[in-house]
Amino acid sequence: MTAPLLEVQDLRTVFQTKEGIVKAVDGVSFELMPGETLGIVGESGCGKSVTAMSIMRLQRPGKIVGGKVLFKGQELTKMTEYEMREVRGKEIAMIFQDPMTSLNPVFRVGWQVSEPIRIHQGWDAKKSLASAVGMLGRVGIPSAATRARDYPHQFSGGMRQRAMIAMGLTTTPPVLIADEPTTALDVTIQAQILDLLRRVNNDFGTATILITHNLGVVAGMCERVLVMYAGKIVESGPTKDVFAHPKHPYTWSLLRSIPRLDADRHEPLKPIEGLPPHLVDLPPGCSFHPRCAFKVDRCMRDEPALLQVGETQKAACWVTQSGQELKGA
Amino acid sequence: MLAKYVARRLLASLVVVLGVTAITLGLMSSTRGSFVPGIDLNPALRPEDIERLKEQLGLNDPGYVWYGKWIWGVLHGDFGHSMIDGSTVWSHIADRLPNTLELTGTAIVIGVLFAIPFGIIGALRHGTKTDHSMTVVSVAGFAVPQFWMGLMLILLFSVTLEQHGLPWLPSSGAFSAVNGGDIGDRVVHLILPATVLSFFYISTWSRFIRSSMLEVMSQDYIRTARAKGMGERRVVYLHGLRNALIPLITLVGLELPGLVSGGLVVEVVFGWPGIGKLAFERALQYDYTTVMGVTFFATLLVIAGNLIADLLYGVFDPRIRYA
Amino acid sequence: MIGQSRVAELDMPTAAAEGAATRPAQSYWNESWERLSANRIGLAAGALIVVFAAIAIAAPLFSAVLTHFQPQSINLDITFKPPGAPNYLGTDELGRDTLTRIIWGGRVTLGVAFLTVAMSLTVGSSIGMLAGYYGKWVDDILMRIVDTVLAIPAIFLFILMSILFRPNAITLAAIIASVGWGGVARLVRGEVLSVKERDFILATRSIGARDFRLMLRHLLPNVLPVLIVSASLGVGQIILVEAALDFLGLGIQPPTPSWGNMLTNAESYFYHSFWLVIWPGIAIFATVLASNIFGNAVRDAFDPRLKSH
Repeated sequence: MTAPLLEVQDLRTVFQTKEGIVKAVDGVSFELMPGETLGIVGESGCGKSVTAMSIMRLQRPGKIVGGKVLFKGQELTKMTEYEMREVRGKEIAMIFQDPMTSLNPVFRVGWQVSEPIRIHQGWDAKKSLASAVGMLGRVGIPSAATRARDYPHQFSGGMRQRAMIAMGLTTTPPVLIADEPTTALDVTIQAQILDLLRRVNNDFGTATILITHNLGVVAGMCERVLVMYAGKIVESGPTKDVFAHPKHPYTWSLLRSIPRLDADRHEPLKPIEGLPPHLVDLPPGCSFHPRCAFKVDRCMRDEPALLQVGETQKAACWVTQSGQELKGA
Repeated sequence: MLAKYVARRLLASLVVVLGVTAITLGLMSSTRGSFVPGIDLNPALRPEDIERLKEQLGLNDPGYVWYGKWIWGVLHGDFGHSMIDGSTVWSHIADRLPNTLELTGTAIVIGVLFAIPFGIIGALRHGTKTDHSMTVVSVAGFAVPQFWMGLMLILLFSVTLEQHGLPWLPSSGAFSAVNGGDIGDRVVHLILPATVLSFFYISTWSRFIRSSMLEVMSQDYIRTARAKGMGERRVVYLHGLRNALIPLITLVGLELPGLVSGGLVVEVVFGWPGIGKLAFERALQYDYTTVMGVTFFATLLVIAGNLIADLLYGVFDPRIRYA
Repeated sequence: MIGQSRVAELDMPTAAAEGAATRPAQSYWNESWERLSANRIGLAAGALIVVFAAIAIAAPLFSAVLTHFQPQSINLDITFKPPGAPNYLGTDELGRDTLTRIIWGGRVTLGVAFLTVAMSLTVGSSIGMLAGYYGKWVDDILMRIVDTVLAIPAIFLFILMSILFRPNAITLAAIIASVGWGGVARLVRGEVLSVKERDFILATRSIGARDFRLMLRHLLPNVLPVLIVSASLGVGQIILVEAALDFLGLGIQPPTPSWGNMLTNAESYFYHSFWLVIWPGIAIFATVLASNIFGNAVRDAFDPRLKSH
């Protein structure tokens, strides 16, 4: 068994707001293996993006108040800002949700894509630009040499996301974090970008953390998946198993709220009732219990830990941990 | 494309220039004829002399004829002669313009040089004591009358220092009449008026850059820049500032007409021999041609300032296209 | 691996779509008022203005009860007296009491400022509404006029008009307002255009007698916030312009005292009576400062979009 590339242990990130302290990431632990694609899925505001930003130490104005992030054995949360810069963009690259706003409007695309090489490898403008043009070509931008001289507003949304991906890959980092990379794009473009990410994973062996609220994307892309709810991981395991036999009622409800081809056509879709909890004022016990169809008394009192349930999965649920199956109501 | 845009803008400006000069003349002609410029300088003039003078200066023509002749002259590069001293209006402007440019140019440069770092510090230390105290100073900068600030500086740095036998700063003129005129002398004369003018610019622009910087620093592309692993200095000064400066261009461009008129009050307070003071004095003497000349010139600067600001916008913001 | 087509996007709860109101709802005014009431510094500044205005209005009372001097009563026996009872702020070259003159000067300065704001707003909002409402050639012509007015270096125009008209308080206000309305007109026109954009009835209005009523009943409430904000931000600037004109000898003429014209002969006081240069300036500074702070508070309260951080 190989050692994990990235290990997150009991990570906690809080935000100070007017209403109180928001525990955006509340004790998250997971591992990322070399070359694998890991999905993190959950509703908006469940803490999946903050988890990613915390790994990069870009969570400001939030504060990391506990836990460890081990990258190749180094503790990222203990690093100085200066040391951390050597990790960002060089060891761990990141691409963001909205390619429209994530590129700086006043600099040429080629210049921006080549910037990480200039910063980390210290190459001169000409050499780094040539390398950037090469990378732009590889991510499927036609006549890359010409387009590199364009400004971001001259690119379409899909092209910009390709450019963002190219920007992340110029330094061939071992880890790529993609935060909702396709959410802002058209459906056809989404498929192309996901295809590109898969290719990147194959060609460069880049381990990828794919953050999304789209279960379809996870199903198509990821070997393993983490399901987050209210700042915690509530279920984890191989994508296939989690989707086939969810061990947490939240995952179970998520899967039932979307259409499936293999299910009975006449069975109506069931949206999840209620709203995600306010992170300042979490319910006692399991955070999901107010929306849970399976809840027992204990769920309202005690908080379940993320424990092994079944052979390959982990879940934080009193019901499944006690051996019960989640069967449709 | 660009040439076409500029041409169209200039054409539209023509209407504005005509409007402005017509309004100026219209205002002045309400007294035309009843008052002959320069007459009080020579009390010995007989009525027939005055009549001859009026004829000579064209004051007996109806307003539109006078205006027509004036426009005709301007089209031929002739702004006419001063009604007071007979020398050409252009020579007056050429005489005073360098002084005005020296004062307002210095103030604008100082304004930009101080406003940018102040604005950045205010944005980066948003909400701290440093930020609050800079806010207080700039709010005060908006509220203090320029002429009074000038008077206070004169009181402090010229009068009081002189009374205590200390070296003091000159309070009037652009250079010493006696043994003056070298660079050092001009700089010493420049200190007080340039301080007053630039204080105002710094107050205005630093607030502006602060809020512009605050907005820019919360943009997604700043997060992207940080994620690339560059130093915060590069994030702020390259990726942030480059965007935050774009709106400043408009502000500075709009200040171009201030090159002529913005410093008027300061020029009067400090006896600065500039264009603004010229216009003020000549207006008091009903020197129509000189006032028309300066107004025309100042209006051209307003238009040029707007146009240059728009064009610079295009240089600094690649998203702008001129159609 | 599970086929991608099997599952689609999650159904996420979304915020209710924003309804486009045709006029600011009652709650808008309540919320704005609440925001303003919560701004203590802004309220204090507003209170200060009210105090200044009250003092100005009650100037004759102050003359009779507090200072026992009249603003224009000359007494050559007590010229250039330093501050001290009974002339708490000293006297000037004609032995006039400075405190009394400052109190009376405030009457003029504040009066002119408020009058100017009223004039600029009335003219500016009328022109702006006409231009925005009728559009087409009406808009073209009116806005070209606005461009022209705003392109004249304002200080030249003020000087010219002041020289020609030798103003009193009312004409001085008219002179300053003759430029001030341009900016208001532009603002109001913009606001009207955006209301038209939102409002179906207004966009497809029937022509005729209903126009005027529509403008008054429908548009005015919509542009009111803009007017309130621009009025409260304008007062300070107008006081500065007026003071400068008075200082240059072009505004309110002596012997009527105004804060600006009390400084006209400042150079001749420097060497022996510098307090004469200090008090009027402080009066202007304090008033403009209070107006600006209050103006900013009003803007933040009524137009959160424009809020400066």
